Amino acid sequence: MPPRVLIVDDALFMRNLLRDIFLGAGWEIAGEAADGQEALEKYRELQPDLVTMDIVMPQRSGIEALQDIMVEDSEAVIVMCSALGQESMVMEAIQNGAKDFIVKPFQQEQVVEVVGRVLA
Amino acid sequence: MDMSKYKAMYLTEAREHLQKMSALLVSIEADPHNRSGIDALFREAHSIKGMAASMGYQQTADLGHYLEDFLDHFRQQGQITSEAIDRLLAGVDLIESLLEDIDAERPERSVVGFCSGQPAVAATEQKEPEPNPVADESHLQVSLQLHESVASPAARLLVLIKQLATLGKLLNCEPSEEMILRGGEVRRLNAEIQTRLEAQEVKSCFENYSEVSRVNVSAPQAKPSGNTSVGATVRVGTELLDRFIGLTGELITNRYMLQSAAGEKDWKGLKEGLDRLARLVKNLHHQVLQVRMMPIDSVTGRLPRLVRDLARKTGKEIQFNLEGTGIELDRAILEELTDPLIHMIRNAIDHGIAKQGTITVRAWRQRDQVMLQVADDGMGMDPDALRRHAVEKGLISSAQAEVMRDYDALQLICLPGFSTASQITDTSGRGVGMDVVKAAVEKLGGVLHIDSVPENGTRFTLKLPLSVAIIKVLLVNVDHKLVALPITRVLQTLEIDRNQIQTSGKQRVFSHNEELLPLISLRKILGLPIPRASEQISVVISEILGRKIGLVVDGFSGQKEVFVQSLPHPVDLLRGLGGGTILGDGRIVFILDIQGMLEKRRRSGE
Repeated sequence: MPPRVLIVDDALFMRNLLRDIFLGAGWEIAGEAADGQEALEKYRELQPDLVTMDIVMPQRSGIEALQDIMVEDSEAVIVMCSALGQESMVMEAIQNGAKDFIVKPFQQEQVVEVVGRVLA
Repeated sequence: MDMSKYKAMYLTEAREHLQKMSALLVSIEADPHNRSGIDALFREAHSIKGMAASMGYQQTADLGHYLEDFLDHFRQQGQITSEAIDRLLAGVDLIESLLEDIDAERPERSVVGFCSGQPAVAATEQKEPEPNPVADESHLQVSLQLHESVASPAARLLVLIKQLATLGKLLNCEPSEEMILRGGEVRRLNAEIQTRLEAQEVKSCFENYSEVSRVNVSAPQAKPSGNTSVGATVRVGTELLDRFIGLTGELITNRYMLQSAAGEKDWKGLKEGLDRLARLVKNLHHQVLQVRMMPIDSVTGRLPRLVRDLARKTGKEIQFNLEGTGIELDRAILEELTDPLIHMIRNAIDHGIAKQGTITVRAWRQRDQVMLQVADDGMGMDPDALRRHAVEKGLISSAQAEVMRDYDALQLICLPGFSTASQITDTSGRGVGMDVVKAAVEKLGGVLHIDSVPENGTRFTLKLPLSVAIIKVLLVNVDHKLVALPITRVLQTLEIDRNQIQTSGKQRVFSHNEELLPLISLRKILGLPIPRASEQISVVISEILGRKIGLVVDGFSGQKEVFVQSLPHPVDLLRGLGGGTILGDGRIVFILDIQGMLEKRRRSGE
């Protein structure tokens, strides 16, 4: 069974970009969420194998959503999506249990490598 | 900044703070409304936190912080509960373990469990030594280098550290997680892990990280032994250092004075210069000893806690008093006193005090010696019972027992093999008997006295020299050689007539103060030829294992203060040698440990 991914990003453009990359790599999209609050709800509902989590989002931030999910499922595999200049937030996320991170602008190979690695 | 040179200082100081915390906790337990005590406790925890944080010892700092928070609550209330005291004591124990970790260059153990409120038992469990690494686990040194183009390199390194931690146990890491979190450009990582994986397997784990440009995995280089050990440190007041500088200056002036006097063959000037030199050296000696002096407090500080714990364990009610803790002793002596003191206190609690009583540890100066006494007001010891026991154990004959004075009968408890299985309890039955205490005291050039009154208590009194480095010795001749005996071991010297010697069985004895003392020849002990006895025989009276003996020597060569130097390996393996010293004329003289020599003889005779 291909891995099922939950994409969390407030920008539709980003969600679509990631969706294309994942589908291209043969993975399945479990669902999408547009903010931190929705991320937790979708995670509970869909139980995906992997979550890509944007950091800056309305309602609850990516880091808060990460914490929420980790509390419920300490085995959750979450990869942060960051922009340059967000390094300290990425580190905070890693301290809180994020498995890895990808940096915008996304490159297909990089995303595939990171996601493949954390799912290995 | 290289912090390693501060490590020893940190450890010493942190331990001092811990001791103060223990002592404060025990006194606050007796008086829970002691507001100023709680305040002092808070300050101690605060100091430890600050020191640990500046050294980067995160776990210790976290625990210090936790204890500070914990105390703050009681500080506001102005009183404290006994549960809280137990918890704080457990915290003190945990910090002690953390200090041991740091001392042993291990990563600090985690304090998360303790701080998240797990019962104190969990903390003691954590104190258990870590199990030995499983046979198939090995240590590997991993170094990783990131590509120049990697975005967010610090976060990347953090991910890599987490990855490393999944492969085995992360022993250390440079830069550490904390350093990475502080930010800055880092692209290199050196770590050591303990893992069951092979080097190649570890390497391949990182080869699918395109961010990593270079991976190196190898067995760690053995650290050169001896380099890692940290010498003891001592804090010295700047005032004392100034005096050293002053004295050095005077010595230099003195040297020029002597040189010019010698050049001019000015004998009067030379003599004056030498007199001056003698005074300066004496002064310097005195000042150097000052540096080595520490208040007794540094070993007695932990005693209140010990007594409290033992009292609790045995269900006895014990009042503990400390007197004269400001008295100073050479640090080398103090270090050796820790175990004997603990043992004597255990003894007092186990055998001395029945249900409730008082134990007093007091120290005082007596001329150039320090007296240290452990006294209890318990059941005391019965000399007759001790005599009987020693006879039963075959340590003395019943004839010996009959003529033995009460005082001497009390010293019997210091004979090896005197303590019996029936006396061994959880508290004092640790395989350490009073014989070990006595040996330790005597090794320091001290003497142990025991006196006891049945129903009235027992007193162990230690008579100790101020310093071990410089002692007074009696020089004696044996086969044209000079050897030294520590003066503390010499009770008396005398010359006896050949016809005063009698024989009792195979043993030669002589009568001294209405007591028959065995005569032992130093030549015989040292395996030297024994000539026909002369008319006058020189005898040193000494006490070995509680018994007086007469040691026969060829002659006496006076007393001297000497600087004791420890013997280098492998000479130090020889039993019966307490050290060496160099006399003014360059001769090397061995300092004999009579008891050690006789023990060796007795053993080889068995």
